[in-house]
Amino acid sequence: MRRYAIRRSLTVIPVLLGVSVLVFGFVHLIPGDPALTMLGERATPEKVVEIRERLGLDRSIPAQYLIYVGKLLRGDLGTSIVRGDPVLTDLLRRFPATVELAAAAMALAVLLGLPIGIASAVWRNSVVDSVARVWALAGVSMPIFWLGLMLAWFFGVHLRWLPTGFRLDTGTTLAPWTNFVLLDAALGGNWTAFRDALRHLVLPAVALATIPLAIVARMTRASMLEVLSREYMRTAEAKGLPQTAVILRHGLRNALLPVITVIGLQVGHLLAGAILTETIFSWPGIGLWVYESIEARDYAIVQGASLFIAVIFVTVNLITDLLYAAVDPRIKYD
Amino acid sequence: MRLGRLACFVVLALQAAVAPAAAQTFVFGAQGEPVQLDPAIITDGISSRITRQVYDPLVKYKGATTEVEPALAQSWEVSPDARVWTFTLRRNVKFHDGTPFDAKAVVWNFERWWKSSHPQHDNQVKAGQTFEYWEGQFGGFDDKSIVSKVEAVGSHAVRITLKAPQAPFLANLAMFVFDIASPRAVEKWGTESGKHPVGTGAFKFVEWKPNQEVVLEANPDYWGVKPKVKRVVVRTIKDNSQRLAALKAGEIHGMEGLNPEDVAVVKSDPGLQLLLRPTNTTGYIAFNYKVKEFQDKRVRLAFAHAINKKAIVDALYGGTGLVASQFQPPPLWGYNKELTDYEYGPAKAQELLKQAGFAHGLTDITWEDGRKEPMIFWYMSRSRPYFPNPKEIAEAMAADLAKAGIKGQLQTAEWAVYLDKRKNGQLPLYMLGWTGDNGDPDNFLCYFFCQPGVSREGFYANKALADVLLRAQTLTSQAERAKLYRQAEQMLHDDIGRLFIANNQPPLAFTRKVKGYIPHPTGSEYFNIVEIE
Repeated sequence: MRRYAIRRSLTVIPVLLGVSVLVFGFVHLIPGDPALTMLGERATPEKVVEIRERLGLDRSIPAQYLIYVGKLLRGDLGTSIVRGDPVLTDLLRRFPATVELAAAAMALAVLLGLPIGIASAVWRNSVVDSVARVWALAGVSMPIFWLGLMLAWFFGVHLRWLPTGFRLDTGTTLAPWTNFVLLDAALGGNWTAFRDALRHLVLPAVALATIPLAIVARMTRASMLEVLSREYMRTAEAKGLPQTAVILRHGLRNALLPVITVIGLQVGHLLAGAILTETIFSWPGIGLWVYESIEARDYAIVQGASLFIAVIFVTVNLITDLLYAAVDPRIKYD
Repeated sequence: MRLGRLACFVVLALQAAVAPAAAQTFVFGAQGEPVQLDPAIITDGISSRITRQVYDPLVKYKGATTEVEPALAQSWEVSPDARVWTFTLRRNVKFHDGTPFDAKAVVWNFERWWKSSHPQHDNQVKAGQTFEYWEGQFGGFDDKSIVSKVEAVGSHAVRITLKAPQAPFLANLAMFVFDIASPRAVEKWGTESGKHPVGTGAFKFVEWKPNQEVVLEANPDYWGVKPKVKRVVVRTIKDNSQRLAALKAGEIHGMEGLNPEDVAVVKSDPGLQLLLRPTNTTGYIAFNYKVKEFQDKRVRLAFAHAINKKAIVDALYGGTGLVASQFQPPPLWGYNKELTDYEYGPAKAQELLKQAGFAHGLTDITWEDGRKEPMIFWYMSRSRPYFPNPKEIAEAMAADLAKAGIKGQLQTAEWAVYLDKRKNGQLPLYMLGWTGDNGDPDNFLCYFFCQPGVSREGFYANKALADVLLRAQTLTSQAERAKLYRQAEQMLHDDIGRLFIANNQPPLAFTRKVKGYIPHPTGSEYFNIVEIE
């Protein structure tokens, strides 16, 4: 297992190298000169030259790449073209918001998706199953943009139960600490802010959870159905075990492996910043930030964020792979 | 059942947590995040909406007009040759950091904008920023500028000497970019001063939460009308529909950037009110004069008769648009009321095309260098005040043109690429527009037509027109200038240099509780006069 873990971890290196080449290259592929973009409409040729020098754009491409990688290794993701802030600082400041939202959405997806999937499989072709399947299909195919708007209009405008966006009301004060608002509020014992933050989290989390929820439910159903037909299940039942034990201990545990893979992929997606959800609900995470930066042609941020997102994906995948063994002791890697 | 009860409980608990919104806070929903808050460097309305609350200019626009009135300068005199301006400054005014506002501070600000060797100018340029508007409005930096001397004459008087008279000088000074900053604060923060704005304005800067909001608080010592609210929060909500939802839900008090189709929603909501900015924006279609077909005036005239502007304005502007007959919007004092627009008539357009040799319609174009290609009509990928629904408007215009036998293909590009292509003169036929900066006709006409033949204006070369505009720039009598601008509009019209399609009055929406908001044509709107009942 240890050898596998090391070997699997090492495969991350070539992947990241490849990513760095892609991310580096794409700035050179986008139409328009970054120096011109920085200077705007009234750029003079002298200034363009000056900026190109400052950005190192006057050197050869391989030299630029080496400089870029050198900076990366020192943790320098560059500075924002529009605002001049270090990209890494901005990134770390926004990441907690994304993590908070992603965690809430994933919790919803798993807590609801697993039971729905199990129920669908156990009572196959029943009303429960049909409803769940239609629901799952709808969840996957519903545009988040539209769903987010509908949720905001229904719960925010019509019923006035929940806010239509942001992490806190304008009147709520909370000292930023970790930038995980819920955590900051709890640590500071500020329960008004905690409840406020929770209320703000509901709609974006529900909107963001729809797709992973549907996927988890469907995957669980499919995987459970396969397991339920196995002979050891019949044996377990024949032994006279209570049905919940049969389904959960013997069924679910065996069915979980593909579900974990799917969850891992979804976590990657969610952490990459849910651009649409964050934009709709003015949620100040990575997604909204990237969206704004693309609009403003802030290459440095788009570059830095892409790299970061790639690292997140690779890491989550790695963890997922390593988790298999923990979930299923039958798996041996050597 | 138990689950149901639990859900009820959760909902009730969440409802109980609804904090009553502080009525003393004015919350405005903005379309985007400010770029930064150093007025001398920014060029966009989203940033300037905030800086206008924190800083003051020497002279400001009066109410909803673009006439100027005293602000930090109490009065001013101009020499007979219109080259020397002497401003008497308001006394007993302090910047938010406690430093006094005086002639030294004003001179310091001018030198920062103007002199490339000024340390607080130089550091910004090295950081990739430019003082773009100074360059645009005052001819450039150092010796290139029309300004030749700025000096303090006494503790509260400043004399500015120009190399030549500049007619829109005062109107220029009222622009948000020439708001006066605290020299000490700028020196303290350097290139970071865009994050720590310190002015003399009605509100002090408190906090900027990235991608969320900017918070300001009332300045109790403000020299002008004291703010009626204690706090201002400007929240960024990117999506237009979501911003309206936040307004309807009572989370914000006012907003900009309504979808045209939502104007009716606001009008029909008894809890909301609609305010229109006086129009200061014109959308047009431009021809590229390197295209041989467009060099023929009959072809351009055919375009002018083919497009049904009124139908487009009625259908696609949510009731806030106006048909444009010329470049300047109607409120500008150089507007030509006598000018009669070309009437809509597809038959007339067909006839003109026939005369020009396109009896079977116009589908291809020929560039001057001989390249032949299908005619592409470029439309904008991004909504702007002058064309709020660019794609739909382009489709409507293309349909009108097709009826007259002009068949182009619609195409668009990412906004920055679109602007690049336009600048380099690569678009044969395209839509674009302009929103005025300072209410001076020069700001509309001269930027476009004072340099005949430039690529960014599709190589349109009308020397006579440029001469009229340049002459108008040197006069100080508004009446005489107005005559020249009216003449310029007529010349542009007679030559069909461009097709002016529509003006828009950008809509703003507020809850009924908001009183006293004055929409301004340049977007320079002040929150100190806003009241919340």
